[in-house]
Amino acid sequence: MESSKQKRCRSSVVETIEAPLPLVWSILRSFDKPQAYQRFVKSCTMRSGGGGGKGGEGKGSVRDVTLVSGFPADFSTERLEELDDESHVMVVSIIGGNHRLVNYKSKTKVVASPEDMAKKTVVVESYVVDVPEGTSEEDTIFFVDNIIRYNLTSLAKLTKKMMK
Amino acid sequence: MAEICYEVVTDACPSSVYESTPAHSRRRPRFQTVMHEDWEKNCKRSKQEALATRYSSIPRSSREDFSDQNVDVSSPRYGVSSVCGRRREMEDAVAIHPSFSSPKNSEFPQHYFGVYDGHGCSHVAARCRERLHKLVQEELSSDMEDEEEWKTTMERSFTRMDKEVVSWGDSVVTANCKCDLQTPACDSVGSTAVVSVITPDKIVVANCGDSRAVLCRNGKPVPLSTDHKPDRPDELDRIEGAGGRVIYWDCPRVLGVLAMSRAIGDNYLKPYVSCEPEVTITDRRDDDCLILASDGLWDVVSNETACSVARMCLRGGGRRQDNEDPAISDKACTEASVLLTKLALARNSSDNVSVVVIDLRR
Repeated sequence: MESSKQKRCRSSVVETIEAPLPLVWSILRSFDKPQAYQRFVKSCTMRSGGGGGKGGEGKGSVRDVTLVSGFPADFSTERLEELDDESHVMVVSIIGGNHRLVNYKSKTKVVASPEDMAKKTVVVESYVVDVPEGTSEEDTIFFVDNIIRYNLTSLAKLTKKMMK
Repeated sequence: MAEICYEVVTDACPSSVYESTPAHSRRRPRFQTVMHEDWEKNCKRSKQEALATRYSSIPRSSREDFSDQNVDVSSPRYGVSSVCGRRREMEDAVAIHPSFSSPKNSEFPQHYFGVYDGHGCSHVAARCRERLHKLVQEELSSDMEDEEEWKTTMERSFTRMDKEVVSWGDSVVTANCKCDLQTPACDSVGSTAVVSVITPDKIVVANCGDSRAVLCRNGKPVPLSTDHKPDRPDELDRIEGAGGRVIYWDCPRVLGVLAMSRAIGDNYLKPYVSCEPEVTITDRRDDDCLILASDGLWDVVSNETACSVARMCLRGGGRRQDNEDPAISDKACTEASVLLTKLALARNSSDNVSVVVIDLRR
């Protein structure tokens, strides 16, 4: 039996932020407040909080994200798959919404920069996603990389402002 | 009147509308969502009430003064309709300023009309509504501007407006919208701007984005603006020449994000998304009316249909009489704008809809 498997693609975005790791991680790890640094998020509502910890912190938490108008989607439903405060790793899957990012899963890892352990942080966001029908792999990667880069640029601006 | 309008609507052939609309310009249908509680503030009833108030507040004596001086040009007749529609929030704004030129540089009446369709949030469009006409007023040097001078005036005004919303975003944000200083979304807010200045002998249109101005002349549409879509060949060349990229996601989008190639604001997409307006200057003739509207209308209603509807409303009783009561054509313009808005909603427009109809009959 033939089965057509959707073509997938993957990529990573790396951003060095001029801020200490604890500050950067404290913003990134707040699963219930993506609008703090994600550029196209208008608001976020927690659908269910996973076991243990405050709302939005537990593995399995699900958030409903409302996106800004003019963006090629209105809303997105996302689940927290993993959150590790020791290795500073966060894994998020997109499980619904009226966008074209199907089977999207991203892993964000935060490490202190070798350049300056106390004052610089390196954020690495890697993802896999289906290539939407009618779109090339190249365009898909360009689009998603672009969104992530905008988010991390906003994160850099936010942490800079918070340190003043 | 209602009967005639109804016939106009039924005469419009939906398939011809879709044929005339490029497939890629139609937005992907969006899920319906619960209307924001602010919707009521923006419903057409309150808009019409505001319009009626504005009209009734014009002193009768000032009109008589105009007629006593035998000024050839009467004050403008216009109608406005602006509705939230199926979009969650109202991000359109409309500005109307009859006789807006300042006394120092105005010998003849010049009337300003603007439609601003915001995206990302409403505050850039709201700011345009408050400020852009003042910037145009400041840039005007005389009544007798020639073609090049009008273009310079409009280009400078739009550039100043763009700089204002960028720097203004750094200082304070209006209480009306939900952006606060912390959210990065402020940088990704923008607006279209289609502006028309009507003088005794010319129609000046400046457009930035995908709202549109259409002149109705002898019942036929004459486009006075061209939509700034990212896949327009010259726009595509400009964007790629600047190092940007247009990705077809659900429709052509700059960097896959924005569905228009020019806008006021959207600082994060500069220089790919430009705020430079395209300016057209058209001599007035025996014209019916001018229609300015956001893409909530034009995505689902063709220029031809819009012209037919507006013309029929304006000519409900035939050509305007010399002594026709101004209230009559104001009412006809309002009916035309309301009918066009209803038509757009009936055709499942998924956006805010704002329509201005200006009676140009002499």
